[in-house]
Amino acid sequence: MDASPHAVTRPHASRGYWLCQLGGWGLYSTLQLCAGALLIHLPWARIGIEVLVLNGIGLIFTHRMHAYIRAHNWSSYSLRGLVPRIAIASLLLALPLGLLSLFASVSSLQSSESLIQELAPNIQLHFGPLIRLLHQWANWTTLFALWLVIYFVAVSIRRRRNAELRQSELIRSLQQAELRLLKAQLNPHFLFNALNTVRSLIAENPKVAQIVVTRFANTLRYALNAGQQEIVPLSKELEIVRDYLEIESLRLEDRLRVDYSVSEEAAAVGIPTMLLQTLVENAVKHGIAELPRGGRVKVDAVVRDGMLLLEVMNSRPAGVVRAAEGTGLRNSAERLRLIFGPSADISLDLSQPDLAVASVHIPVGK
Amino acid sequence: MRVIIVDDEPPARREMRRLLVEFPWMEIVGEAGSAAEAEALIEELHPELIFLDIQMPGGSGFDLLSRLEHVPQVVFTTAHDEHAVHAFEVNALDYLLKPIDPRRLASTLDRVRNAGAIPAARGGSVMEHLFVRDGSRCWFVPLREVQLLTSEGNYVRLSWGKIKPLLARSLAAIEQRLDPAQFFRANRRQIINLKFIESIEAGVNGRLHAQLRDGPEVEISRRQARLFKALTSI
Repeated sequence: MDASPHAVTRPHASRGYWLCQLGGWGLYSTLQLCAGALLIHLPWARIGIEVLVLNGIGLIFTHRMHAYIRAHNWSSYSLRGLVPRIAIASLLLALPLGLLSLFASVSSLQSSESLIQELAPNIQLHFGPLIRLLHQWANWTTLFALWLVIYFVAVSIRRRRNAELRQSELIRSLQQAELRLLKAQLNPHFLFNALNTVRSLIAENPKVAQIVVTRFANTLRYALNAGQQEIVPLSKELEIVRDYLEIESLRLEDRLRVDYSVSEEAAAVGIPTMLLQTLVENAVKHGIAELPRGGRVKVDAVVRDGMLLLEVMNSRPAGVVRAAEGTGLRNSAERLRLIFGPSADISLDLSQPDLAVASVHIPVGK
Repeated sequence: MRVIIVDDEPPARREMRRLLVEFPWMEIVGEAGSAAEAEALIEELHPELIFLDIQMPGGSGFDLLSRLEHVPQVVFTTAHDEHAVHAFEVNALDYLLKPIDPRRLASTLDRVRNAGAIPAARGGSVMEHLFVRDGSRCWFVPLREVQLLTSEGNYVRLSWGKIKPLLARSLAAIEQRLDPAQFFRANRRQIINLKFIESIEAGVNGRLHAQLRDGPEVEISRRQARLFKALTSI
């Protein structure tokens, strides 16, 4: 399972693979050539051709094996599944080469027969063809088993490295998402425009400037603490919304007119933190701020049949909905359902040309 | 220097006025609260500089610029949209972040003064710059650097180095505003910049072929060829 993305991202054998393949077989062949020249008294050319042919076949076999391993996803097996497979594959791959080696002169390099003769020339030994075949077979089997072990060790090292990389990427993207959320909560556009209003008020009306600074501090503190409290009474969120709209109406002056109609019963109902605030911010951003002559924002809340009905109405320029508003709404809807279950919902009604109505339904008494 | 302040928030406009008191050489000739208001005011008063908010109701600062016949020097003022100003790829304009830092304002105005005030473009006179928007990218195009203007239906394609933005105006409308000493109507569809002509070859039927530097060869029609010869005394 783990190996599938690996296979997808690397459809062809990598450069590292070919480096190891050619390097490994090359080194092995060179050693054989040197040993052959020292121990067997045969012409160079003969030894060279034999080594080339045998090891060339070995290279082709292991390359086919490599393709087979990838096609059958052997790297997904545990060690217990892998060991017998490596053993069987090594034995099968080695058999044809063991047979072939019987006819090669370099094979004497690998047989104990010649070694014994070298060490103790007076002992006369002669192995039969079957013994010699088993011998060669065992030699090639060892070689292929070694190849496979190296291969799987390399694969597992690479996989671990990739997994670490993915892990750190995941952590980074999570941190970025958190940062984006925090930034959205702080609403930088409002923040800097509010500060600009305050700067202007300090010269024009220091008393109002003082009031605005405290209101501003309230909204900022509330937004920063929003993560700690999932649900707040509507009345508490409404305080912040009032502070926020007051700052905005100083900025937009007579362009922003606000109405509230919240029943006492509704004010006590718990709502998700920042829900109403976000709706009101959108009403200002996509509605009032887009209208040269401004418009009205109205917040209504009543309890009916055990449900809180919360509505934010605002004037808007006649036109299409913005995509960003749509995604914000989907996120809020998701959050509502997670907290209150399927009976809670949120919708945006744009059927009237110059009016936007956001309605929220939340079950009471939880 | 004659200045107009464009911002939809009255406190922001008043704050800008207060900040500009320190710079007596700046003369505030008007202020506007929306793009439409600003457009009328700029065409009427022909200021040399505008302070321009980006987010405004009924059209952004960029919308305003692309509608203007005469584009003055522009300093953007914004609370949070500096990334939008970075959309200017080639000749980045200056911008101020609100609340405006008076020190930053002073250095910006120094730069504006040193850039040499664009000769106050009065109605009917020659156009120096064009504000062009192509997709999400914007440029202030100095017209003297434009090689070729080609009519494409109701639009005009500017050839400005490697950049070939499309302009939502007719070739005839632009022609009226071009400097006749520098731009020449080569044929029905094209106007060429005389400074960019590399060589001229005679063609059939009294036509001429003008090879533009780093650009295409443009045919000068027979009627215009006579004018061209008279103009350049070939």
